[in-house]
Amino acid sequence: MNILITGASSRLAQAIATELKDDHTVRLMDSVPVDVAEGCDFIQGNILDPDDSWEAVRGIDTLIHTGEPPTDLPSDKLKREQMLLDLATRGTHVLFSAGVAAGIKKFICASTLSIFNAYPNDVYVTELWKPLPSPEIVEMTKYLGELTAREFAREHLVTVTGLRLGELVLEEAVQGEAPNLAWLDIRDAAGAFRCVLNRDSSNSAWWTQRWAVYHICADIPNPKFLIDQAQGIGYQPTHDFQSLYLNTADS
Amino acid sequence: MKKVLVLGASGNIAPYVTPDLEKDYDLYLSDIVPHPDGKPIINVDITSYPDVLEVCRGMDAIMNFAVLRDDPVISFEVSTKGAYHVMKAAAELGIKKVVHTGPQSIRHAYDHEFDLDDVPLAPGVGYYGITKYLSMEICEIFSRTYDIQTVCFLFNGLGPKPTEAAQGDFPPFTVVWEDLQHACRLALEIESVPGNFQSFNLLSYFAQGKYQVEKAKRMLGFTPMGGLEDYFRRVTD
Repeated sequence: MNILITGASSRLAQAIATELKDDHTVRLMDSVPVDVAEGCDFIQGNILDPDDSWEAVRGIDTLIHTGEPPTDLPSDKLKREQMLLDLATRGTHVLFSAGVAAGIKKFICASTLSIFNAYPNDVYVTELWKPLPSPEIVEMTKYLGELTAREFAREHLVTVTGLRLGELVLEEAVQGEAPNLAWLDIRDAAGAFRCVLNRDSSNSAWWTQRWAVYHICADIPNPKFLIDQAQGIGYQPTHDFQSLYLNTADS
Repeated sequence: MKKVLVLGASGNIAPYVTPDLEKDYDLYLSDIVPHPDGKPIINVDITSYPDVLEVCRGMDAIMNFAVLRDDPVISFEVSTKGAYHVMKAAAELGIKKVVHTGPQSIRHAYDHEFDLDDVPLAPGVGYYGITKYLSMEICEIFSRTYDIQTVCFLFNGLGPKPTEAAQGDFPPFTVVWEDLQHACRLALEIESVPGNFQSFNLLSYFAQGKYQVEKAKRMLGFTPMGGLEDYFRRVTD
């Protein structure tokens, strides 16, 4: 399978590439130069530019849009906010439009579980819960990007899968910290993308089957974010932060 | 008198609303093009946050009628980013009332249904629909967080009330100027709406049984003038 991964400079994109490169042909895209893993292709281009997006999606079977911004965001706060908004809304639209025009049938879009932060911790949050994003720019724009991607499944015969990712960390890097209900080891996040690679409802007459969203985080004791839906499609996280929970219990 | 900023004051909507409001509100008309009736316009580019922030200072309410429909870039700039600038400025300045608008196409998926009132947004990927849809999401997010009371009116057509009999069906999802003016007054005066953000159908013709305004009646107290279908009656001898 030929796979395009956007946001190549991000840890997430690189983890996904590492996860998939041995079984698939992987092309990464970003607007800044990136050294990609051996065996992967790289194309430098901006998703906001229709020509760049068109060049990137040609010959691709599955588009993985990480929604991760480039490393050269403006340092000015307002310009940074505007750029993030642009990338998430118009950028997603330009990229997916190019993908549809190029005949791509499978799109995967990363979003975030932080859109549920407004809910208290004494509830179990599943995909049935209404997102309540805050105006914090990263959180809000991730959500707007998800909504933009979803509309492509409504209007076109393509499969669009949203993965709402928890807070990306490396398990070994958070040792000693207080456990976070949304933690997700970045390697498990990459594994989640593999799980949905073969989801294909493109020929379904119902757009509600062409679109699906899954919550992705670690499999921890007494979770707030339930991952039963994701486990149903084969998501099996291996980093469960168990030692931290055991330490908490001990104390 | 409340100070009300009108963005997009020279466009397709505001010039039919503001003449009625100006006797009761201190209106500040802004746009990037001259007003069709030659009224003074504050030059404000809604895609510029410093412009928007500056013109919003001292206002009690903002009415955002700015929209650009089908351009692949400017539709996002004006409709989506513009709404972001408006809500960001309202939050920063403590402005607690915003009036927003959207088109029928933001729930395009329901075009073949009936009894449509408060249905979920389902725009598809057309520039007009999706950029306004995203703008409404931004409005809701800021309204919820900063306690800004935002009223969004949805309609497709806007025009004068008929004055003579027509031979043909009446226009769907269309509101006459007087009803829109009435609704805008209600929006400016209402203390709060559930969840701080609500969208409402606005129309003046109902006999088709397709679009309804029950929610606007219930929450805002909207009372359309009614009786306009009489201008579209078929002669039966």
